[in-house]
Amino acid sequence: MKSIRKGRLVSVLSHWAERFRLFAPVRGIKGECTFSNFQKQNFDLDYKKPNLPPKSAFMPQSEIIFEVEKNRYREVMNGHKTMLFGIRACDAAGLLQFASFMSRDREDIYYKSRTDETITVVMACDGPQNETCFCTTTKSGPYVEKGFDLQFYDMGNTFLIEAGSPQGEALLSEKAFLDVDDPKAAKQIGRFKEKASRAIPVKEAVKKAMDLLKESRASEDVWGQLGKKCIACGGCVYVCPTCTCFNVYDEVSGPGRGNRVRAWDTCLYGGFTREASGHNPRPDQPSRLKRRHEHKLLYYNKDDVLDMLCGCVGCGRCSDYCPVHIGTLEVVKAIAG
Amino acid sequence: MEKTYSICPFCGCGCSFYLITEGKRVVGVDPSPLHPVNKGMLCIKGWNSYEFINSPERLTSPLVRKNGKLVETDWEEALRIVSSRLKEIKDSYGPNSLGFLSSAKATNEENFLLMKMARAAFKTNNVDHCARLCHSSTVAGLALTFGSGAMTNSIDEVEGADVLFITGTNTTAQHPLIGTRMINAKEKGAKLILMDPREIPLAQFADIHLQQNVGTDVAVLNGMMNIIIEEDMYDKEFVESRTEGFDKLKSVVSRYTPRAVEIISGVSAGALETAARMYARADKAMLVYAMGITQHTTGTDNVKTCANLAMLCGNIGRPSTGVNPLRGQNNVQGACDMGALPNVYSGYQSVADQGIRKKFEAAWKVENLDEKPGLTITEMMMAAQKGDIKAMYIMGENPAMSDPDSSHIELALSNLDFLVVQDIFLSQTAALADVVLPAASFAERMGTYTNTERRVQLSHKAIDPPGLAKADWEIICKISSLSGYSMHYDSPAEIMSEINSLTPSYGGITYSRLEKGFGLQWPCPNEDHPGTPILHKDKFTKGLGTFLPCDFQPLAEAPDDEYDFLLTTGRIYYHYHTGTMTRRTSVLEREAPHARLEINPEDAKKLGIQNNDMVEVVSRRGAMRARAEVTTTVPRKVVFSTFHFVESPVNMLTNPAYDPIAKIPEFKGCAVKIRRVA
Repeated sequence: MKSIRKGRLVSVLSHWAERFRLFAPVRGIKGECTFSNFQKQNFDLDYKKPNLPPKSAFMPQSEIIFEVEKNRYREVMNGHKTMLFGIRACDAAGLLQFASFMSRDREDIYYKSRTDETITVVMACDGPQNETCFCTTTKSGPYVEKGFDLQFYDMGNTFLIEAGSPQGEALLSEKAFLDVDDPKAAKQIGRFKEKASRAIPVKEAVKKAMDLLKESRASEDVWGQLGKKCIACGGCVYVCPTCTCFNVYDEVSGPGRGNRVRAWDTCLYGGFTREASGHNPRPDQPSRLKRRHEHKLLYYNKDDVLDMLCGCVGCGRCSDYCPVHIGTLEVVKAIAG
Repeated sequence: MEKTYSICPFCGCGCSFYLITEGKRVVGVDPSPLHPVNKGMLCIKGWNSYEFINSPERLTSPLVRKNGKLVETDWEEALRIVSSRLKEIKDSYGPNSLGFLSSAKATNEENFLLMKMARAAFKTNNVDHCARLCHSSTVAGLALTFGSGAMTNSIDEVEGADVLFITGTNTTAQHPLIGTRMINAKEKGAKLILMDPREIPLAQFADIHLQQNVGTDVAVLNGMMNIIIEEDMYDKEFVESRTEGFDKLKSVVSRYTPRAVEIISGVSAGALETAARMYARADKAMLVYAMGITQHTTGTDNVKTCANLAMLCGNIGRPSTGVNPLRGQNNVQGACDMGALPNVYSGYQSVADQGIRKKFEAAWKVENLDEKPGLTITEMMMAAQKGDIKAMYIMGENPAMSDPDSSHIELALSNLDFLVVQDIFLSQTAALADVVLPAASFAERMGTYTNTERRVQLSHKAIDPPGLAKADWEIICKISSLSGYSMHYDSPAEIMSEINSLTPSYGGITYSRLEKGFGLQWPCPNEDHPGTPILHKDKFTKGLGTFLPCDFQPLAEAPDDEYDFLLTTGRIYYHYHTGTMTRRTSVLEREAPHARLEINPEDAKKLGIQNNDMVEVVSRRGAMRARAEVTTTVPRKVVFSTFHFVESPVNMLTNPAYDPIAKIPEFKGCAVKIRRVA
């Protein structure tokens, strides 16, 4: 186990930024913290819960997957040594589910090329980042047990750092990292985890709603009530750490020339399920909303969710950023009554 | 993964996001989490606004017409042709043979420069932009009643209202981040009054839906005011202390008894009374409107009547009240503010005022600025057809698709001696041009935009423009200078300094202030001023508010035996205006790949039309085909379609008849006939 004084962190990150494409919380001139390329002068630890999950580092909202020139195509791979610094446990859990899906049936080579050499540094939460956090319910936080290279625990003036992989361990060889007494540190971390977990109350409605859905006892009216106000912005999907769906389109520059692009898509858009005949098995917004939430709470793939509760990692962003308040928390509340 | 702060290029909400770039490509957006309008949210268009920037169909080189064909050329030749042809035409036929169309998609700085070029370099006031077609009646109507033609309150106040009076705006589709606030307000206990001929999505949330006959807005609103006065529910203190002309109002609206209104509008007396009481009894009632009010031959009357209603009940100058026109484009408010209008300089300073003219002449180092207001778009098009306008310079507009009676627009543009179009795509209008100048998109330039709540916001440059394309402001500077009026700015910030010095309402809106926060709402006269979220607080801009009562006037072209349906036009959620951007966005195009004609099931049955059948719609001016959408959204004998689709150009049909004051055409109602073709 190692520790680092908070004051030394920026210089260590500056070193790492020379070796990695380093994404870290950065506070811009508007006062907003977003995950962006590390900037020494604007790095900020008071970032709470970033508004977008880190999935965009590995599957950008849009990316060219191959280029066509003179009728020949060339795959575009974007492998960079990447470090995600300071992501939250829910987001690390989301990346695990995401990665499982992207490699389950067959390897998604574009995704893999971006994740292959990635270092994940998790910042364990000492409590909820805002009122919509429910990772203790979904068993995906406030700290992670796996899927990290390093995990930082905020102890006031210092961070205690746990290594989760040999790559992580190797990063701790810099002088700024100090050795700590393992049993004592383990105790401190144990107390941290216990206190953090207690501070994020379990939302019983999630489990209750899951049970009702499983037993086909959930009221169908819920979807109509919520669906009528959904404007199909797609925001809940775009801000979701575990949503993986994409659309593929071509940018045609001329005969035999152009790019094939994939871009985030969402099951809340009607065209997502519309068939060539015009028939749409999810014909209206209530049925699309139902599909999305049942995917998270009922029809999730057991392999993808690992030992977590379901396909939702409890980050609460869909509740934070739905313009009409149809997030997972509102949905389970409506179902559970 | 670089992030650059930017403003959404679509509607007037003015949502902000960071453009995410990888190398030279914008790959996505990250919504600004603290922005007062969008708070980390976006609509479907905003989330997908990155794609068209990368389109291979972007213009990357200037084009000139040679032997009838547009061919690529360099800037030197293109600029030489443009400046020399404009100069020649000006010298031969006079300055007013030129017409300039500015752009509600361009920045404030660019709009300011275009109007400066028209006025200072070419000495004409013939400069206008598409606000003529959307809110010119607002600018006119609210200026006459209140003294300031803009949204009185702010977007974030919607959720605080007790009553929302929503009319002529399909808000969840056209201004989604305002529409969703209306739904939230309802959930918090507000009452919703909807006045709209169509059963738009908000109808599901309305406490009362006044489904008036198209174009009978004045009658319904007068009827409400009559009831409010009769039942003594109006705000006497406000009327006495803040307004003038009440007696005239009272005498005009007294003719609009519930029975009379029912006959004109189809709105039942009971519904009218309920709505009138609901609005009048609210402490804070917010009236929100858009094109359903403005796009009529009676557009200015409609706006004045909305203003009358709000004043009558004292719903002005307080939070969550007011008269709130929703501006359709990201910078249509700014294009108006910058004086891209034929009668005013920036800040609505009249060209007819000698003192104002002297101020601009001194600042611009020119003499003899024209004192007569110039022509509006609608008038320019007629003048072009007659041969009085010989050349037009069109920046970022697509009148061949967006203006009424488009076959006449095409004739008018084809009749010009010289047409320049500056755009990011080869639009239908650009395809008619003699010279096409490739412009930068919103992601490729710096500048400010003013949203519907008068919030001026600074957007930054994320990537370079493709190929040879340049920012509009740079192109304008070059053309003006080559034409003999030197124009040189190092940056948009320098243009803004000039705007600050010449425009009282923008006096304190400087780049250094805009860089830090989320914009400033005008009026903001000096650098210490915090901006103005609510207009007309203690007094109206013009002093006392003036009641300007109007009588009901019918549509210019009502259905008859031959053209027996009424066509009303608008937009859908997934597309934006003439589709140049959204139809190049795969997800949006997938959601709505073709135009639909909404028709009521009973009418459809009579005509043997089933859902998705191809139908032909014919007016006295033209015809189009679209697929039928059989729906109760529209009432009997009313059909609805949109102007997004070049395959189904609804403006071939629309009536160019216009409002006498604002010159806004009647997009919202014309007579058509319909038949099934397949």
